[in-house]
Order: sequence, then C-alpha cells, then structure tokens
Amino acid sequence: MSGHGFLLANYVPGGSPVHRSPLWLKFLLVLACGMASFLIADWAVSACVLVLLCGVFLLSGAGAARLVRAVRPVLPVLAAIGLFQWWQLGGPTAARIVLNVLVCVVAASILTATTPVQELLDGVASLARPFRRFGADPERFALTIAIMLRSIPFVAGAYADVRNSARARGLERNPRALVLPVFITSVAFARQTGEALAARGLGDAEDQGS
Amino acid sequence: MSIILDRVAVRVAVDGRPAPKILLDELSLELVERRIGVIGANGSGKSTLLRLLNGLVAPSSGNVTVAGYDTVRSVRDVRRRVGFVFTDPLSQLVMPTGREDVELSLRRSVRNPRERRALAESALARFGLLALADQSIYELSGGERQLLALAAVLAVDPAVLVLDEPSTLLDLRNRELLRRTIAGLSQQVILSTHDLELARDMDRVLVLDAGKVVFDGAPDDAVAQYRALCTAGLELPAGEQK
Repeated sequence: MSGHGFLLANYVPGGSPVHRSPLWLKFLLVLACGMASFLIADWAVSACVLVLLCGVFLLSGAGAARLVRAVRPVLPVLAAIGLFQWWQLGGPTAARIVLNVLVCVVAASILTATTPVQELLDGVASLARPFRRFGADPERFALTIAIMLRSIPFVAGAYADVRNSARARGLERNPRALVLPVFITSVAFARQTGEALAARGLGDAEDQGS
Repeated sequence: MSIILDRVAVRVAVDGRPAPKILLDELSLELVERRIGVIGANGSGKSTLLRLLNGLVAPSSGNVTVAGYDTVRSVRDVRRRVGFVFTDPLSQLVMPTGREDVELSLRRSVRNPRERRALAESALARFGLLALADQSIYELSGGERQLLALAAVLAVDPAVLVLDEPSTLLDLRNRELLRRTIAGLSQQVILSTHDLELARDMDRVLVLDAGKVVFDGAPDDAVAQYRALCTAGLELPAGEQK
C-alpha cells in the first residue's frame, strides 16, 4: 500500500537535549500549546510561537524533511479553514486560527519524533493509572494510543491506493468510488488488527494484582 | 504439550441459506507430536482448525483444551502458551518498527522498560534482525517481515507455535530460511501449508477436506493422499481440451 510509507509518529533516534528531556515536560509542552491555541488572540504571537517550536524541532536533529512530512497532510484542511475564516472573520483571525493549529501539530511532532513509542505508551499508561480505581485498565489506554498511531497512516495509505485505482478507471470524481472502498478496507483492517492483538493476548483484561 | 479436540464442530450462519455452513465437522484429535502439519485445499478448514488452538475461533460444539485449559473458558491461559503467526505478517505487526512491535508483545509480561528493551533486542538478534530493529516494517522484505512476526511471537516464549500458511507469501529463498528456522525451534509447532516440502519436514500430517480429516499419519503418505485428492476428477473445461 503506497501510503504506508507515511508514518504519523515515527520516532527519529537521537541524543539531542530534546530527546533527553523528560517525557512529562514534552507532554506539558503539547498540553500548553493546546491551551494556548484558545488563549492567544494575536496572530503575530502565534507566528512567533510557531517559529520557536520549529526551532526546537530542528534542534532535535529530526530534520526539516520530517517536519514537512508532519505538517503537509494538514495543509489542505488548513487552507480550506483559513479561506473560510478569512471570508467570515477577516485576515488576522484566519491567520491566528491556522497558525494555532500548526503550533499544535508541530508540538505533537516534537513529542513523537523524539520519544520512542514504547516510552510514550509507558507514559500514557502511567497517566491512566489513577483511573484504575474506577475500573480502567492503563495498559488498554496505552494500547489504544498505539493502535491509533498505526491506524491513521493505514487509512491514509488505503485512501492513496483507492484514489489511484479510481483514477485508473476514470472514477476520481466519484465520491462513492473513493469513500466506500476506504471504509471497507478500514473495517477489514480493524478486524485484522483486533485478531492479531487477541492472538498475542494483548488487550485482554489485566492480571489481578499486576 | 497435549492439545485435545473433542468432537469439535465449527458452523457459521450464511445469509440466504437455511442451514449453517460447516467449516469443521466433529473433529476428535490429540496433538502431541513436536511437528504437526495440516494440508488441504483452500476452504478445507485448515485456518479454522488452527484458529481453534489459540482461541481465535470458538467451537460451535465440542471443546478444545491446551494443557488442560479450555480455549473458551481459559482463553488467556491458552494464549500465554500458544503463539500464533498469521499468513501475512503485516496483519500481525502492529507497531511501526520491529523493535517496538517485539516490545509490544512483552508489555504484559515485562513491566520494566529496560528489561523489556533488552529482551526485545535478544529476540531480534536471535533471528538476525537487530540491524533492522528501527526500520519501518514497510521497508522490510517479505522474509524479514515473516521472521519479525515470528520473533514478536516467540519473544514471550510460548510452548506451542501455530503458523497459518507461513510460507505462502515468500519467495524460494525466504521459504528455505523459514523452513530452517522452524526446524530449529524448541517449541511444539503446528502449521498449515500449501508447501509440500515444508509438510514433509513434519512428524505428523493431517489432510483436511471439506472440514473433515481424511488422512492422519506420516508426511509422505499424507502428501500422496493429498495429491490423489487434488487430482481426482480434475478435468480441463471442454473449451480448453485439445
């Protein structure tokens, strides 16, 4: 599947200060950027934060290509949102909204590019641990994140494949020829993944006392 | 390890048909040999039989036990003992890289991240995959992926390894590599295959046809029986005959 080469959260090994930063700090950065997107009212401030985050990303040594790969998939959506907001609310507001979304994307990319997935999952499991008393299983939380990270690129790949085969048959303008096969492929993938996890005993309820 | 199937049937309802379709029909088997092969035509019930052993499929009637554990009532205990390798390793590999996937297998049993990482590396090294540990699974060859799937399953050291047509997607070289790898495993191995060379490496081979075991015995006899079954009544369509 052609789109499989695109991996949403691939870790870039390295020993930069960003790599060595504790996980909680990187989580906090993502959280702060998410909050800031509601609080920042000036597009110039958003632009400064974005430049700063891009600098942090490049400092990690993950490379400009990895940064572009992270941002590129959201650009068409952001272009549409930006145009609509510009028409509705004017240029400065549209710029602020688009830049704030980019801030969140780059912050999340800093986290995923500099943190091994297993470390990320350990962090998610730790964060979910207090919910154990309410019957939640922290490992299932972590597994859910892992599956999400795996599934998004798969669906993107399925879409790329379906679009190519629709083009080959002259059906690229037919939404049904695009959406339906992606939907069916995704459901089949979900079933397959569920079966693979079950076969490995992953996703079962936790051991008593573990 | 003793695996017992006691009058096991698997039936599925099919839309528009009054009677359910029978995938497996009243099988009673005891599987104790170290190497067991299952051969048969497409749709004969091989995958269903193998999936019963790991609890991926529940019997419609009868029961399956692995070392005394029922595959329905004690499915977690069964899955700790029975590892399952799928035909297409991409169906099985969940994480973006080999290292992460093997570590995922170990998450339940090994809580310490450093210990988990060390165990994952030793599992990868065992199959010569350590150099590819951080490569995307999509950049690996079919053979490397199949070995990675094996490494991920064997990392938790199951007593039984079930492989569903493991060589179907492999070229000749990788098939040979897989054969040698399987031959060197300490686990009890139960596999289904269309590769008759691989079937000949087994101690015991079952031939399935339409959900029934039609032969159960030595590999050479089983392969001969299967060939006879496949060629019986095989005629070219009228238009193709010279």
